[in-house]
Amino acid sequence: MSESARKKQRLSPRISGDRSAMENASTLYDDLHRLANIAPKPVTPFRRAASAGITPRSAPIRTPGTGRTPRGGPATRPLPARRVAPTTPHAIRALRERANAARTPGHVRRRSGRVQRETPRDALRALSRALAPVSRPAQPTPRAPSRLSRQSALDLSDIDDDDPPAPRLSMPLDDMYDDDSFDEEPPRQSIIAPLPDYDYDNGTAHSIEFGRRARSEDPRLDRMFSKRISEQFGELNDLTINGEEYELDGNFINRRGTLHPEDLLEQVAEEDLDNTTTEIRALTGRRDGRASDVDLGVFGEVEDEEDDPTFRFTIPPRMQAPAMEGDDDDDEVEAEEETQRRVDGSLVQEADDDDDDNDVQAGADMGNDEDTAVLAADDDDETGAFEIAGWESEPNVEDDEDLQAYRGEVSAIDRSLQTPAPETPTKKRASRQRKALHISRFGHEYPSFPAATVKTLANGFVKSQGSKAKISKDTLAALVQTSDFFFEQVGEDLAAYAQHAGRRQIEESDVIALLKRYVHFAVLLLYLYTNTRYMAMY
Amino acid sequence: MPQTLYPRGTVKKIVKAHANRPLSKNVDILVFLKYALFMQEVMKEAGIASKQAGERGVSARSVRKVREGCLRKFKG
Repeated sequence: MSESARKKQRLSPRISGDRSAMENASTLYDDLHRLANIAPKPVTPFRRAASAGITPRSAPIRTPGTGRTPRGGPATRPLPARRVAPTTPHAIRALRERANAARTPGHVRRRSGRVQRETPRDALRALSRALAPVSRPAQPTPRAPSRLSRQSALDLSDIDDDDPPAPRLSMPLDDMYDDDSFDEEPPRQSIIAPLPDYDYDNGTAHSIEFGRRARSEDPRLDRMFSKRISEQFGELNDLTINGEEYELDGNFINRRGTLHPEDLLEQVAEEDLDNTTTEIRALTGRRDGRASDVDLGVFGEVEDEEDDPTFRFTIPPRMQAPAMEGDDDDDEVEAEEETQRRVDGSLVQEADDDDDDNDVQAGADMGNDEDTAVLAADDDDETGAFEIAGWESEPNVEDDEDLQAYRGEVSAIDRSLQTPAPETPTKKRASRQRKALHISRFGHEYPSFPAATVKTLANGFVKSQGSKAKISKDTLAALVQTSDFFFEQVGEDLAAYAQHAGRRQIEESDVIALLKRYVHFAVLLLYLYTNTRYMAMY
Repeated sequence: MPQTLYPRGTVKKIVKAHANRPLSKNVDILVFLKYALFMQEVMKEAGIASKQAGERGVSARSVRKVREGCLRKFKG
């Protein structure tokens, strides 16, 4: 314990010293402290003056006022402080460098300097310094133009600009003036040039825009078609039962044109061939004449605006043959049309014989014959048409083999002259598949409601009303369209009912709800009233 | 085999295409019933309209004149 206490006193002298000073009032620490206070403090004036500079003790001695005063000048020079604080800039700088050298370790500084010199950057810098004076003047001269050309998108123009100046510089001024005088001439030529161009433009304009009308007004064609296309439509109306109800709606025209084969087929299915053949022949003849007209003119696009590209290009020779075949085939069974041409050669020949005989004998019904119509359209020559008709009528008199060969020739001619020829069978098929061409708003294809069913239904209702009149074709077409609208509406309503019931499937309850719903007559009146009122407002 | 009154498959196809939903069994029959009622209405109205216009029989014009009102009447 005593030893530890002594050690503590040694280790912590101040605390123990205070206590000992309080207690003993005389310890080794106190003695030394007193000695330090009594003895003068050690001073190193030279070093501190060089490094740290001024000390408060030496300041009064070194003050410039005292030291630099002229009075104390000679007296202060002998002082040693003069050596400590040099006034000359060289001495001050030298002393500062020495002090800095003393503060920073010299070996470290040198080593870092060596390391920096050895870095590749220094090597590159040295190299650049060595190469700089040589490379700098060489770089700008070639690169300056190249940079301009790369940056600008006008390289060619620059190059062009570069190229032309040289010849211009080489050219004498007299030539320049001569060039100006020559430059004035081209406009003169351009002014002179349009005069013949106008003539040509007139010619082309007439040939393109007014050729169609000129064709229709051509007396030769008047002999052949005897009327314009619109008038032919009138004839179509006359053929139908209610000709007065013809509308100029493009869709309706087209629909009617397309509906003819279907109606004909249905009639053929229901009735005898003999009753319809004449009508069919007349219709097809009219329509063929129209098609042949359509081939040439702009009117075809206006009339047949919709969904019947093949109709525009239909070529009579093929067209009538399949039409007649189709009628015959519907009686039998619908056979394929490619094979019909050769298998049903006899039927086709009969039909052609009838037409050709009519053409040759009557001669006025040239429009009914498709071949003559097409060829007349091609040749614009009536005599040629007659010649062809005669040439056409000849093989018909002969055997079936010759007729088949003739068929092949006609088809070849059609293919060579008019590309749409092979499309005629596709057109016929399109008319048959037309039922499936409708597309609902969901993208599903759906067939049109069969006209036969509509007809039977409508006829039944008409009979129930007491009138004996049957339903005409365009009435039937309107009814079919109406039924299509009705089914569209019914489908949407049923879908809405099923969705409201939270079902995906349409069930009987939905249809029953639809059947139970019946708009009151007053509501309909109100609707009509508001509608008419709005109509009156506008 | 007697002639069918109407093609069931076609009616089913048409309604299914417009509704974009499957149909349960015998829905098409009821739909055709609705259609027959609709056609009766259309023909009645068209006969009236054509008589008013002094036409003989039912014309397409009278059918077109009448069908919008009938469709609106039969809207669910």
